[in-house]
Amino acid sequence: MNKVAYQGLALVLLFALLLFASNQVDWMKLFKVAKATEKTEEKIGELIWENIQFSEVEIKLDSITNAVDSIVTRICRNNKIDRSELKLHVLHSPEINAFALPDGHIIVYSGLIEASENQEQLAGVLAHEIAHIQLNHIMKKLVKEVGLSVLVSMAAGSGGGEIITQSVQILSSTAFDRNLEEEADLKAVDYLAKANIDPEPFANFLYNLSLEEPEMMKYFSWISTHPDSEERAETIVTYSQNLKVKNRPVLSDEAWLALQEKVKEY
Amino acid sequence: MITLSRFLYEPGEHEAEKASNSYLMSLVAVVAGLPLPIVNLFATIIFYLGNRKGTYFVRWHCTQALVSQISLLMVNSYGFWWTISILFGSETISNNYIAYILVALVFNLGEFIATIYTAIQTRKGLHVEWWFYGSLTDLLCKE
Repeated sequence: MNKVAYQGLALVLLFALLLFASNQVDWMKLFKVAKATEKTEEKIGELIWENIQFSEVEIKLDSITNAVDSIVTRICRNNKIDRSELKLHVLHSPEINAFALPDGHIIVYSGLIEASENQEQLAGVLAHEIAHIQLNHIMKKLVKEVGLSVLVSMAAGSGGGEIITQSVQILSSTAFDRNLEEEADLKAVDYLAKANIDPEPFANFLYNLSLEEPEMMKYFSWISTHPDSEERAETIVTYSQNLKVKNRPVLSDEAWLALQEKVKEY
Repeated sequence: MITLSRFLYEPGEHEAEKASNSYLMSLVAVVAGLPLPIVNLFATIIFYLGNRKGTYFVRWHCTQALVSQISLLMVNSYGFWWTISILFGSETISNNYIAYILVALVFNLGEFIATIYTAIQTRKGLHVEWWFYGSLTDLLCKE
């Protein structure tokens, strides 16, 4: 009996030792996993964006895109995020929505710009989407909803249009896990604080939208895909209380009003 | 890890063939049910049940073939479900995962080679005892 126990233990130890030794090697680097993942993400992002481009109208007016871009650039610069990795697109739609796609695409609907009471609210939503990208939530969500095998075949070119449409649907109109949302919210507050943008208007934005009339809700995609907004607003306020933020607007008041005006007129 | 010795008695031609088949059974099932780690265990169990009233030599080797698969079943099942959760769940490929799969592969390969070697030797009527599994079989399989 003792012999069996010793030999069994030795076998378990051998397995553990081999596992430990194997763990010391950086297989991810050796097999270039990160590079392959990056390529897949790039291809998926491209396919989804092409699908959106086909069905929506992109605003290419410099006076609009530059203004939104300057907010994104401030957030990136102050948080050491590579701005060139983010691809900002403003779409013409009354929907109040913004969402991120794989490979750093950020989609902002003109309805969101119109509905924001001030630039800090818009910056809050943008920071939230940047946080989703930086925390790798987008691919996690897609893998969970669609499955890695389907995504890989889609990137390899054998994925049907249906899967791409389904992916657009998932990313633009379904909610993330509650934990992922909270993580992105708190990260967004950190980003805003470092970018000298007051996070409180972001909390107000969530709170105000949660109070809107039910018949207006059909336009509020962002809030319907981000549930429990009242509770989240409270979390943001509590979290940002510890941060001392000196608000330095990215755009002048005139520039912000001009942006809203141009979006309305478009 | 593997000891070649003489059995208590000289097994006959028919016994050697049956004992050798118990190892071949697990090999064939490994190839047939590769993605599912449980298939080879089922095949060996069925063969074991079919021969549990056989001679001591046959029973002993059927038992060793069976018990040697249990630890591998655990290792493979863990790797299998880990892979499934990466392919269809929210898990992502990590260094830990690759390290585990490689070690599991080494163990599977080791067992595969040992099984082929044992199948050949038992076919010649020689008695092959594996490290740990041989001692465990001695405890489980009585004359």
